[in-house]
Amino acid sequence: MSTMNRRDFVKLAGAATAVGTVGFPMVGFGAPKASVVVIGGGYAGAIAAKYTKLYVPDAEVTLIERKKEYISHPFSNEVLGGERDMKSLTFTYAGLEKRGLKVLQDEVLDIDIVSKTVKTKGGKSLKADYLIVAPGIEIKWGAIPGYGQEAAELAPHAWEAGPQTLLLKKQIDAMPDGGLLVIVAPANPFRCPPGPYERAAQIAANLTHAGKKKAKIMILDAKDAFSKQALFTEGWKHNYGDMIQWVGASGGGKVMEIDAKTLTAKTEFDDFKANVLNVIPPHRCGAIAAKVGLTDDSGWCPVNQATFESKKAKGVYVVGDSCIAGAMPKSGYAANTQAKVAAANVAGAILGMKIEKPFLTNTCYSLLAHDYGISVAGVYEVGADGVLADVKGSGGISPVGAPLDTRKRESVYGVSWYNNIVSDMFT
Amino acid sequence: MYNKKLGVVLAAGLLAASASAGANGPTAAAIVGHTCAGCHGTLGASVGPAPVIGGLSEMYLASTMAAYKDGTRFGTVMERLGRGYTPGEILDMSKFLAAQPWVSGKIPVDAKAAEKGKTIHSANGCAGCHGPTGISPMPNTPRMAGQYADYLYFQMMDYKDAKKAIPGAAMIMRNMLTPVSDDDVKALAAFYASAK
Ligand SMILES: Cc1cc2nc3c(=O)[nH]c(=O)nc-3n(C[C@H](O)[C@H](O)[C@H](O)COP(=O)(O)OP(=O)(O)OC[C@H]3O[C@@H](n4cnc5c(N)ncnc54)[C@H](O)[C@@H]3O)c2cc1C
Ligand code: HEC
Ligand code: HEC
Repeated sequence: MSTMNRRDFVKLAGAATAVGTVGFPMVGFGAPKASVVVIGGGYAGAIAAKYTKLYVPDAEVTLIERKKEYISHPFSNEVLGGERDMKSLTFTYAGLEKRGLKVLQDEVLDIDIVSKTVKTKGGKSLKADYLIVAPGIEIKWGAIPGYGQEAAELAPHAWEAGPQTLLLKKQIDAMPDGGLLVIVAPANPFRCPPGPYERAAQIAANLTHAGKKKAKIMILDAKDAFSKQALFTEGWKHNYGDMIQWVGASGGGKVMEIDAKTLTAKTEFDDFKANVLNVIPPHRCGAIAAKVGLTDDSGWCPVNQATFESKKAKGVYVVGDSCIAGAMPKSGYAANTQAKVAAANVAGAILGMKIEKPFLTNTCYSLLAHDYGISVAGVYEVGADGVLADVKGSGGISPVGAPLDTRKRESVYGVSWYNNIVSDMFT
Repeated sequence: MYNKKLGVVLAAGLLAASASAGANGPTAAAIVGHTCAGCHGTLGASVGPAPVIGGLSEMYLASTMAAYKDGTRFGTVMERLGRGYTPGEILDMSKFLAAQPWVSGKIPVDAKAAEKGKTIHSANGCAGCHGPTGISPMPNTPRMAGQYADYLYFQMMDYKDAKKAIPGAAMIMRNMLTPVSDDDVKALAAFYASAK
């Protein structure tokens, strides 16, 4: 992997001069056909597949995704707010197929992480030189007593966008003025740290537009602090007065049990009976990664944080929500740049190039109203301890107390982020 | 940065080509350059309204990133990101993005406003540096033809706002735009966005 042999050297030089006009050059001659299988076609997997192909055009890249169409979790809160429809969240894989990679609509049932053989529900068996595993999350049913799969039909989580999003939206639309909507927020780590708090604002927007100004939203939290807290507190107040109330763990916010039939969240001290109950339960890495032995005791997948190669298997990479990535949150942008680092390392291994350094970025925009956006940004590097941390002095949150013009711009750029990141994934 | 043999390739004058799309493998320039795509589109070809950055000149990209990094140019988010990179990394990403083709945004604009903007552009002497349609031959002057109107509007409003940091190179714009009305700034943005 470290030094390039003569053939690779010639190949690289050939490739370097064969840059095509459309920006997707052909590799010249004598290239070996390396095979790469990517599992899961979300924010991480779609990007891992696309960029592996971009780096090594003659590699055989197969993306396996169980769903025919991908539904984006980011901006699904805006569906609850009434600003978007599900169509604007739904994408096919046709654009990726046009790039010459194979998309297999099938579910992976098993992976031999040593021989790198993948078995699917459709009966296929694929052996690859490299695997990139990106299956997102799985909800830990029953982690909150009373909250299992049937309970989610009454008290939706809507933490995987799709029918759950629409169910919650329907319930919000039917909520009476003066009603109580309870959001149960999980402890760290979880997917999209600002998500529950953006959701509260979007629901408040919906209720406000519907004229239900006496409705209340209560967030019962298993934590004592949350992402962009000062900005959310400021923005909730500015846009919705005191419609939104947050109760932290030490204030009695930790939910011990759910009674979905009566829409009741039970904390240590109180029972909160809601008109609409949105439970965001604890989760762990995508089930397939756990099943095949890529996890540690935490329920997530340990990786070399400079390359995203699994600590459990050589040549197997884990990216996106499933992996453990130091200071990086479980977000779509984090998944995007992690996938690109894994793709670079797989490509480097194929081409005999050493990858000196990973480059990783995150930005999470939250829209509190159609013209009110805030963000948290980060640029990361691997510390001496092998753990990803913020580059000193970089990143951070939008300024607290900033003028409304800044909030407005960030709402414009938040939508722009969504437009660009999904186009990076699917075209 | 890499092993000796790759060093030879680079020294052999293939540097520009090696910085392009990514099929030359995962060079440091490509890896860092691809991280911008989540906000600026694949290879910097934004679908908007964040600015198109692919195909801007290396010099402008590098000086702009340096300005964000040291706080001499206001941004809602770019300052926070710019501080995450070394000067060498800024050069790398700038080389990579400058090697990409410019892809004009598909931007719906009000034709009347664009027409008015064209007149203001000529009457105010903007064309002297920016060319008749917002394409300048000078590497320090960014392309504006086909750039997103929302972004250009925000940027020009920052030129007009003495409280906002702008780099020394942009002071001339502050002087020239301060007397221009907000509506006329909108018209200018519409003109550049619609120009080819
Ligand atoms: C409400 C909400 C709002 C959010 N907003 C933002 C935001 O504004 N910004 C942001 O950056 N992030 C946001 N996020 C977080 C973001 O959605 C996740 O971090 C991101 O989707 C992680 O990408 P992933 O590829 O790991 O997982 P996913 O995007 O969930 O993709 C995993 C894919 O793998 C497939 N899969 C799983 N198992 C198998 C199998 N066995 N076989 C085949 N396919 C399989 C799944 O079907 C799925 O398509 C939000 C999340 C939520 C819930
Ligand atoms: C989180 C989103 C985001 C990311 C990531 C991001 N940008 Fe930006 N960029 C913006 C926004 C928004 C602006 C407009 C200025 C502002 O408000 O910060 C901008 C402006 C710019 C400009 C000014 C364009 C012009 O015409 O003057 C340049 C250059 C730029 N970005 C380069 C980069 C590079 C290079 C990267 C990757 C290293 C990057 N950006 C990553 C959002 C982003
Ligand atoms: C003397 C040359 C000169 C003149 C005249 C000039 N510009 Fe500029 N313009 C520049 C340079 C140089 C920059 C880049 C500044 C920087 O480095 O930040 C620039 C940047 C800009 C930008 C930012 C583009 C971007 O992508 O961020 C806008 C918008 C702009 N000019 C508009 C105008 C308008 C409108 C006028 C006329 C009123 C004008 N300029 C006149 C040289 C000029």
